[in-house]
Amino acid sequence: MASATSRPLEYLEGLPGTTFYKLYQQPSTALAIFRRMLPDLAKCFVMALLYLKDPLPTADLEVWVNSESKKERDNALSILGRLHILSTTLTSENVRAYMVTNPFAASLRQALMGAEDSHSFGVFSQAPEHNLISIADLDEYARRQWEGVMGYMVGTSALSGQRDAVNLSKGVKQLLQAGHLVEIRGNRVDITKDGFGFVLQDVNTQVWHILILYVESAEAIGMDSVEVLSFLFLLSSLELGSSYDKSHMTPNQLRTLTDLADFGIVYQEDPDATRFYPTRLATTLTSDSSALSNPVTGSLTGPAGPSGGAGSGFIIIETNYRLYAYTSSPLQISLISLFTNLKYRFPNLVTGKITRQSVRRAIEMGITADQIISYLLSHAHPQLRKHSAAQSSGKGVPASVLPPTVTDQIRLWQLERDRLRATAGFLFKDFTSLTEYQAPCQYAAEIGVLVWKSDRKRMFFVTRHEQVAAFLRSQKVGGK
Amino acid sequence: MNSVDASEHYELGATDLPPSLLTIVIDTNPHAWALLEDSLPLSKAIANILVFINAHLACNYANEVAVVASHTQKAAWLYPSHNAPRNRSDHEGDVVMNGATDTTTPETNKYRPFRLVEEQVTRNLKEIMDSTTADDLRGNMSTMLAGALTLALSHTNRRTLAWAEEHGGANTEDAAAEGNGNGSTATNRYSASNEDERLQSRILVVSVSGSIDAAHQYIPVMNSIFACQRLSIPIDVCKLSGDAVFLQQASDATKGVYMALAEPRGLLQYLMMAFLPDQRSRRHLVLPTRVDVDFRAACFCHRRVVDVGFVCSICLSIFCEPPPGSDCMTCGTHLDIGDNAKPALLPRRKKKKKRVNGASGTGTPMSTPTPGP
Repeated sequence: MASATSRPLEYLEGLPGTTFYKLYQQPSTALAIFRRMLPDLAKCFVMALLYLKDPLPTADLEVWVNSESKKERDNALSILGRLHILSTTLTSENVRAYMVTNPFAASLRQALMGAEDSHSFGVFSQAPEHNLISIADLDEYARRQWEGVMGYMVGTSALSGQRDAVNLSKGVKQLLQAGHLVEIRGNRVDITKDGFGFVLQDVNTQVWHILILYVESAEAIGMDSVEVLSFLFLLSSLELGSSYDKSHMTPNQLRTLTDLADFGIVYQEDPDATRFYPTRLATTLTSDSSALSNPVTGSLTGPAGPSGGAGSGFIIIETNYRLYAYTSSPLQISLISLFTNLKYRFPNLVTGKITRQSVRRAIEMGITADQIISYLLSHAHPQLRKHSAAQSSGKGVPASVLPPTVTDQIRLWQLERDRLRATAGFLFKDFTSLTEYQAPCQYAAEIGVLVWKSDRKRMFFVTRHEQVAAFLRSQKVGGK
Repeated sequence: MNSVDASEHYELGATDLPPSLLTIVIDTNPHAWALLEDSLPLSKAIANILVFINAHLACNYANEVAVVASHTQKAAWLYPSHNAPRNRSDHEGDVVMNGATDTTTPETNKYRPFRLVEEQVTRNLKEIMDSTTADDLRGNMSTMLAGALTLALSHTNRRTLAWAEEHGGANTEDAAAEGNGNGSTATNRYSASNEDERLQSRILVVSVSGSIDAAHQYIPVMNSIFACQRLSIPIDVCKLSGDAVFLQQASDATKGVYMALAEPRGLLQYLMMAFLPDQRSRRHLVLPTRVDVDFRAACFCHRRVVDVGFVCSICLSIFCEPPPGSDCMTCGTHLDIGDNAKPALLPRRKKKKKRVNGASGTGTPMSTPTPGP
């Protein structure tokens, strides 16, 4: 979940507070952010506070959480604060207290109870449907478009152009280029380091990545990024398989819709049609990854064709580094060949071996070990999952799906190359006493931003400084 | 800098957190709700519960909900209603979505899954209330808690299996393979995978009826409780009025939350704060549980709640007075009390139920005359 959530979360955090104020006006946005971005405990906090009339004193909230789970609590509170959902106020007795900030609270309440008619969750198309689009059709459309985009990036569509070629619009290509996922040199399309990382991610992360690029570029072509963003959240709350009316939409939303159709996120018969259908790529935007691994979405990434069936994975890895991939999709094969020495190719199967050489080659191209592993994991064959479930039944700890020797070795091969890792952040130093140093350091560790510390030098390094600074300030006030 | 050396193992397996299934049993006993009319009428309580359901569904895309009504005459499904007319085949849906012809009134100011649940629950509840006649009520003061719990359990079981099959499919097949041999299917099915990796289910009972009326269901209720305990499904109890002995035991045995609301008007806040967190979050929270649990049992003969009673030495059935003809009503064993030595045996056989369970060794030698004449 961490990798899937982090990107949209990071993007949202970077937005200014006024943007949040505007975003939270829409109930669908509030609901989507609540569902997608928050950890479990944060959801509990929000729901508990949502219908409270008075702010909840901080001490009461602390009592509510187990003393062993302090870290989770602080992490949850920190995320809530960063997303401007929770704020602290002073009650009448001058006690610090938490409350859910207003546009968010009102919108979430409205989403839960359904208040005035705001069209926040889309309007069903009333027009008679002359040619009905089934869910299978939508899935097929989404898969074709998305694979088309991937194929364009990796360059397979040029290799095997005869397979139902997808016409990518100019906008799509520009967006990929603007996001530094591909570079266009003359007539040739070259995938970049970022692009390699991108194609190995799971679909949900990829969609988010593209959408955020889209929102970022929206400003440049004269659209309000808040409007686009809240429209995306609206899309995610629509229902798969039904059509929605376009007449209520603003010109900007219509424009977004046309662009998204190119990616297969929504479907419309032609740009002037009166209705559109969200595809599974849209409706699963705010779901978690487990909902995405259902058979149909799995087939979006998995081998093409009507295989469907149970389970989405097609890759088997043995402890001797041999890899078997049951696929005939040129896209998947070219992805696997990025980090594998392929040996044989059969009509529905390719086999190969992961070697030090092949992994190093991949890493030189800018692919990280984590990306390889998460790719393998998200496409692991059901047989592998079954095996790991059977293994874990005996012991308390869940066994990993991939053979641990393989995953560890891939990481080690990466470490051979790069022994340095850069983390952007902030250094706190020059503490006058050890006790003065220890308290904020401990606090930073609790909220999960601490990267490195040295007790001897009285220094520590964090990824985010706002809360630590606030903590230091509150300490100072308390001290005097 | 510890994270940079290669000593740590790379774990990605546990990132997929399974959704949770919440089954709500609503006690719709009109007698009890009539008593609550001033503070919290049924309509208001249902509205509160619906918001709570929405909150539960909002927490996770794949979260599921089921609602059972425990009425005076029967226990019935409120959602998902299995007999509702299906006008659309929706096999892929994550939630069972049936019924509700939606094209007629496209009311879109509400998230669609929320609306589906709401419509079905209110419609089915109305049907139940309309079909209840005065005669039904006159004869029966209690609620069909046992039936409702059993419905909830079977639904949970079915969804757990279906979910496991959709995601990985390992557990079910293994369980079936092993279960055929040794007949312990239930344990295999549930313990085969790690507890975190299966559908997180729990049952919430919103109860208003008192315990005295429900005593005749003692055995089926206790059986459901033990089944939940075995499957580690917590039973949460939200008690609006009265005080039910068995429900206290239910939440105690299954490690659920028990709350008797002092102020029924605040139902929604209680629900949101104490009952919304799922099993995963509960690990981090301090939740209200009951310290002084009423462990009394109901006798098998007259369904009276007893402190001290007679216990059959063979099947441990509980009686408030010596059974007629000295034959145990459950297992039919002839007990050696009625015929001759009744007064002499009485003081020795009379003991608390709890002690019988704990120190059955002292009881057994005496009660061996079961083969009898």
